[in-house]
Amino acid sequence: MSEKHVTREKYNSYFKIVGILILVIGILFYLAQTMPALDGVKKALNLRKIYDLPVFLIIIGLFVALKGFVSKSEGQEVIFSGKSFGEFLTNNAILLAMLVLVVVICILQPRFMQIRVALDILTQSSTKLIMALGICFTLLIAGTDLSAGRMVGLASVISASMLQTASYANRFFPDMPQVQLYLPIVLAILACMIFGALNGFLVAKYDMHPFIATLATQVIIYGTCSLYFDMPPNNSQPIGGIRPDFAALGQMRLFSGIYKGFPGISILIPIALVICVIIWFVLNKTVFGKNVYAIGGNREAAVVAGINVFKNIMGIFILASCLYGIAGVLEAARTAGATNNYGNGYELDAIAACVVGGVSLSGGIGKVGGIIMGVLIFTIIQYGLQFINVSPMWQQVIKGVIIAVAVAIDLTKYRRK
Amino acid sequence: MRKILFPISMLALLILIFSVPAYSQEIKIAACIYDFKDAFMNRFRNAMAKEAEISGIKFEMVDSMKNQNLQFDQVEDLISEGVSALIINPVNRMDMGAIIEKAKDANIPIVFINREPVAEDLNLYDRAYYVGSRPEEAGTLSGLMIAEYFKAHPEADKNNDGKIQFVMLKGENGHQDMYARSKYSVEAISEAGYDPVEVASAIANWDKFQAMVILNGFVMSIGAENIEAIIANNDEMALGAVETLKSIDYNKGDPEKFIPIVGVDGNAGALLAINDDEMIGTVLQDAETQGACAVRLALTAAKGLEINAENIGYEISKGYDTSDNKYIWIPYQKITKAEKLEKGE
Repeated sequence: MSEKHVTREKYNSYFKIVGILILVIGILFYLAQTMPALDGVKKALNLRKIYDLPVFLIIIGLFVALKGFVSKSEGQEVIFSGKSFGEFLTNNAILLAMLVLVVVICILQPRFMQIRVALDILTQSSTKLIMALGICFTLLIAGTDLSAGRMVGLASVISASMLQTASYANRFFPDMPQVQLYLPIVLAILACMIFGALNGFLVAKYDMHPFIATLATQVIIYGTCSLYFDMPPNNSQPIGGIRPDFAALGQMRLFSGIYKGFPGISILIPIALVICVIIWFVLNKTVFGKNVYAIGGNREAAVVAGINVFKNIMGIFILASCLYGIAGVLEAARTAGATNNYGNGYELDAIAACVVGGVSLSGGIGKVGGIIMGVLIFTIIQYGLQFINVSPMWQQVIKGVIIAVAVAIDLTKYRRK
Repeated sequence: MRKILFPISMLALLILIFSVPAYSQEIKIAACIYDFKDAFMNRFRNAMAKEAEISGIKFEMVDSMKNQNLQFDQVEDLISEGVSALIINPVNRMDMGAIIEKAKDANIPIVFINREPVAEDLNLYDRAYYVGSRPEEAGTLSGLMIAEYFKAHPEADKNNDGKIQFVMLKGENGHQDMYARSKYSVEAISEAGYDPVEVASAIANWDKFQAMVILNGFVMSIGAENIEAIIANNDEMALGAVETLKSIDYNKGDPEKFIPIVGVDGNAGALLAINDDEMIGTVLQDAETQGACAVRLALTAAKGLEINAENIGYEISKGYDTSDNKYIWIPYQKITKAEKLEKGE
């Protein structure tokens, strides 16, 4: 195979050219769609059928060009060869598969190319992302957290049970006054944190494997939540009649109607973004964050270095459970309801998303950016398959294959090093 | 540490002891309920207790906690305690042969409720009965409500093609009610003279959240303007559909932006949604009548009186493939806003 060496500067200029090209095509399409003078072109090319594709092209073009302009022009030469190409393919297999899928879906069902759809995918990713950010802490110390999903259920049931409208026939607490919005939310998250502390205590004090410790907690939480849910007069009926101010926390849309047909940005997206920034800060800029990586990388070394493992592990599980609690409250608000079955199996989705996003199950490796990618990839694939009406059984099969392939690639990468 | 663990384990044991329900000695009729936590069976239990009180008989209920083996043991215990009739809400409806044999040996009547045993088992014993509702009736009624809505609102046929483009949200795969409700709702629509066209359908496992996400996908891919009706196998899924539609400003009072939704169950959330014009109707499984009827049937049979409409209040009839008269079918009720207004609720 012949190799071709390219300087960084030239490599970046490729990005600039490609980016600007995409940008220009996007703008041309956009003009053709909007300008009345170009109606003939619009009809000839049947441009109504491509929906918001021009806007997406403009955004993608901007990003690619920006990468070309911002990247440093010094540094190593970039090598193009059969080998580096193969490496590129394996390292980004999941991402590439997703891109191919997106193109296929766009051809099969052009409605996929709507800004509305993109915003929808981001909305659905938001709560999953919050969960994944919580669970990544436990993965970073080579552990896991099986109780995450049930904590979501607990938080949603507790918050929903105290935030029903006064006129609803089947109130959980018939005589409860209309309390301040934050109170039940804080209570729900606190309840989760208590169980998180239990997780941490079992793991840190008895050196129990997190798999077993959190399995035990999972069962306890589900039982407790079901007992609470079964209290008369509710008797295990789904909680409904949620107060509008609480539902708004999950359903409100910002900037809707800025221009005609814009559906608005779900409030969940900025909430998830803020949490991302906080977690990024905690992991990268605080002593606690460094300790998490240190304990995950080599526990003995961390002990020798004087890190208080007990305290840090407690902190990890409590912080994680706090995030699950937030996710649970948001889930209750978004669906305007709750049952004790909420969140069932979410932990596995969150772990899978982390793994696809490059978090190593052997601990110590993982970045917030990767987790965001992992969650987005998963949501896009799931949403896309649902969009073209692929049977749920096939969706399961595909999901499983993605996880297996992602981990296999991940492990070969480390073996190579 | 051990010092703490011991009292904790003792406490756990104490909780366990006190949570086991105490059994009373003197009983007449006893009922085994598959799970005390089930909301629908809860209404059923209240209805049975009320009817027993009216009839002035002694009545006891035990929780089988979703455990068929436990239910077998409970039946044995109850028979040796000397009950005069049994009411059984099966844990596993396919597995009732042994229980029926036990009742037959003791020669006491046995009434099954809510979950229908197979006909071969029921035919083992001439004093075995079943009280319940025909699952297909729920489907028929929900289809009928859609047809009635289209009759009253011709503009609901948005593309004026004389057909009803609907989305079906289905319950758990393999559940008898899922099949019956899906099938018969569509049949009722075509029998009412409309042409039902399924534009999409999906299994949402009776779950509000799943229904919400799935319908959201349909609304995006098919377009809300191309959906003329939504049929859900239960109310929770119908309420999920309501949330999705509300998020795109549908079903909020604008008659241009409305998709009729029907569910099944008649739970509180659905009644509220019907009141607020977010759903057009639901179908109520009449737990109150079923419960009262089960107790009356057990009592009549225990007294050795004839089982007929006069003594029970409902006709006793055949099942699908059994030759004996062993079934009492309690009709479903449909609930729409118009009907609620008529009753003055």
